Amino acid sequence: MRFFHLPPQIFRLVLLIFAIVVSYLVARTLLTPDSFRKYGFYRGAALAEHIANHQPVFAGKIACGQRHPDVLEILTKDSHKSLSCEACHGVVSQEHLKNPDSKMIKPTAKVCLRCHEASPSRPVTFKQIVVNDHYSDDCIECHFPHEPNKYHE
Amino acid sequence: MLATIGGVFAGLMALPAAQVLKKRFRKTPAPSGYDPSQHKWLMCLDVDKCIGCGLCADACKTENHVPEASHFFRTWIERYIIKKPAAGSGTARGEVLVDSPNGGRGGFPPTLVPRAEILKSFFVPKLCNLCEASPCTQVCPVGATFDTPDGAVLVDPTYCIGCGFCIQACPYGCRFLSPVTKTAEKCTLCYHRITRGLLPACVEICPTHARVFGDLKNPLENDPLQAFVEKNKVHTLKPHLGTNPRVLYANLDKEVR
Amino acid sequence: MSLQLTCVLAEVAPHFDGYVYPNESGTHPLWGVLIVLYPYITGLVAGAFIMASLVRVFRVKALEPVYRLSLLTALAFLLCATLPLLCHLGHPERSYQIMITPHLTSPMAIFGFVYAWYLMAVLLLELWFDFREDFVNWGKTEPGLRGLLYRILTVGVNDVSPKAVALDHKLSWIISILGIPSAFLLHGYVGFIFGSIKANPWWGNAIMPIIFILSAMVSGIALCVFVYMVLSWLRRRSLDMRCLDVMGMYLFYALVIDATVEALDWIHRAYSAEEGFRVMEYMAQQRLFYTLSIGQLLMGTLIPLLTLGTLQVARKYISDAIRTRLYFTCSFFVLLGVLAMRWNVVMGGQFFSKSLRGVMSYKLEFAGAEGWFLGLILLSLPFIILTVLIKLFLSQRLPTSGHVPHRLTSN
Repeated sequence: MRFFHLPPQIFRLVLLIFAIVVSYLVARTLLTPDSFRKYGFYRGAALAEHIANHQPVFAGKIACGQRHPDVLEILTKDSHKSLSCEACHGVVSQEHLKNPDSKMIKPTAKVCLRCHEASPSRPVTFKQIVVNDHYSDDCIECHFPHEPNKYHE
Repeated sequence: MLATIGGVFAGLMALPAAQVLKKRFRKTPAPSGYDPSQHKWLMCLDVDKCIGCGLCADACKTENHVPEASHFFRTWIERYIIKKPAAGSGTARGEVLVDSPNGGRGGFPPTLVPRAEILKSFFVPKLCNLCEASPCTQVCPVGATFDTPDGAVLVDPTYCIGCGFCIQACPYGCRFLSPVTKTAEKCTLCYHRITRGLLPACVEICPTHARVFGDLKNPLENDPLQAFVEKNKVHTLKPHLGTNPRVLYANLDKEVR
Repeated sequence: MSLQLTCVLAEVAPHFDGYVYPNESGTHPLWGVLIVLYPYITGLVAGAFIMASLVRVFRVKALEPVYRLSLLTALAFLLCATLPLLCHLGHPERSYQIMITPHLTSPMAIFGFVYAWYLMAVLLLELWFDFREDFVNWGKTEPGLRGLLYRILTVGVNDVSPKAVALDHKLSWIISILGIPSAFLLHGYVGFIFGSIKANPWWGNAIMPIIFILSAMVSGIALCVFVYMVLSWLRRRSLDMRCLDVMGMYLFYALVIDATVEALDWIHRAYSAEEGFRVMEYMAQQRLFYTLSIGQLLMGTLIPLLTLGTLQVARKYISDAIRTRLYFTCSFFVLLGVLAMRWNVVMGGQFFSKSLRGVMSYKLEFAGAEGWFLGLILLSLPFIILTVLIKLFLSQRLPTSGHVPHRLTSN
């Protein structure tokens, strides 16, 4: 191959540029994660990793209902049917999972008032009370929490 | 001299060639039986149903181990109080006051505005808007945050460099920099729950079904999401920015940003 | 003003006026002093390079005494440009990813390539072509490590025949021409990073990259004036007044164009009064009062414009001594003013909420990863590097090649 004479500056520079570009391309190939561009411009493995690295904390109403079908049946008949068990009873505790006989949190009036305390910002169609004007500040004196429209005598 | 250069060049090319062959024939494990292309998740919000109990904000922090401090939220609730117009002012509505004390966690303390002065008041839950043209994923310099094929927007915590560009680019303020991982963090639609057949924690816990969640590709019988879009006229937040948010709000007031 | 200098690292209850999104209600802004410094430094680089290209490309003979100094100044600052970014990242050890998997829809992704291109293909090459002949000569005469350094820098090319040197000139000229758009790209893309953020009305507009480039020109020229005067004072050399006058002239005209475009931005915002305007106006008046009115407007624009403008018309009536002092003061004010402008852009965009209803009150610490102290160190580092570069390459006792009269005038 005829190699016509380049000025020395340019020849050295071309070599240098070539070396830099090649090292860059090699580095790029070696360092790009394997699953990159699997679904898009990101590490595809991140999806599976995310699922694997995070465990659900809340059990969910369906899980509670599977173990407490009697309570769920009562709940679905009245206006608290939209509630999830853990909304009032708190997140299913590890203790309760290990030893099902141990009790979950028994909600106090504070839990009820969190939703039902009267507020001008709440929709008027939502049942709310001003606790000071209400019959009692202990809700379960009159109400059944799972069937809120049924009252004690 | 030329031969040396040629030899070095061939040697250098062998390395990337081997990598390419290695990549082509190596299998990447699927996400444990879950196929993202079979689902398209969406959450929608009915503002008229939200009672501002703050259970969703608490549930999210618990479920996702979000840092406790009051400036890290994956989801939060805002309270809007629109006062009656001042007498003789000739305006239809008065001053607008917005607050979100601790993101709405623990519920809202009673407002100091007397009830008689309030024209209208409501709560608005906020979260990642799952934009079709997400400005946040557009600006990530390394491809660490992305739109999943099934409708969520996630951050790869092992790849994020913590530059904060996505946080600046999100018009809805739904991202933050985690002080623990030093990476961007945001609502993941409880990806780890929905891929296991559970509901996101905030949807699970919401007592009034203000948060509506569903799979657009696999609607259930009496699907709440289908009912939502059939029943309501819907809005999105900041539509003028062209982010095309997928999260739909029903009964949204003009004052909500 | 909410700006508080403090050594206390403890968390203080967040404070804000109006309504801000909860994620914005923290105690510190996401992008702090370091992100203010990065555009400042790259702006100085771009501006200093444009000054040098005035000599090479536009053949402004009067500026030849500062040609090499401008290039070395640009190099010193460019070498430090990545440091604020690395210190700011949550994971600096992953910063290489920006070159391995650059997400091409992100303006930030081009940083690695633009920086590498500008450093290697423009600045180092232009310096090499200009200094090459001297490297060969110095390599032969200087002893020890210094001589070795010069010999290494020749990259083994020892040909200093007139033909080779003429080729050096030609190539240097070509690179200078390539360098001008490259300098605009180096700094313009930073402006585009801000200009592309449509979520933030303070940042997201088309004029932002242009304002960044123009203020970069201004700051670069001011830096060259400043460095030239300090160096001459340290070496007890008299100044080339013609060079200084011409630099002052270019500084004045660059400042006029910059001030005009920035004023246009303000006027347009106030006139069209889009939704975010009220909260931005409030924020600028409350949070940015000192840095905007005093720093950017008074010190950075008004005083230099009036002074330099007067000098343009009344130069012959003002003595050398007074002119020297005026140029020094103006260049220093302009440098502070452009730093204030970067502050106003970066911090201003974070001082108001994207809810457009509230204004935050952030603390800026002295110590810590985004503190003032680190900022001061990063700002002094280029000057230290520049000192080393000057000692090595602009040494007064070393003879320079006669065909480029770039030496500082003797006596």
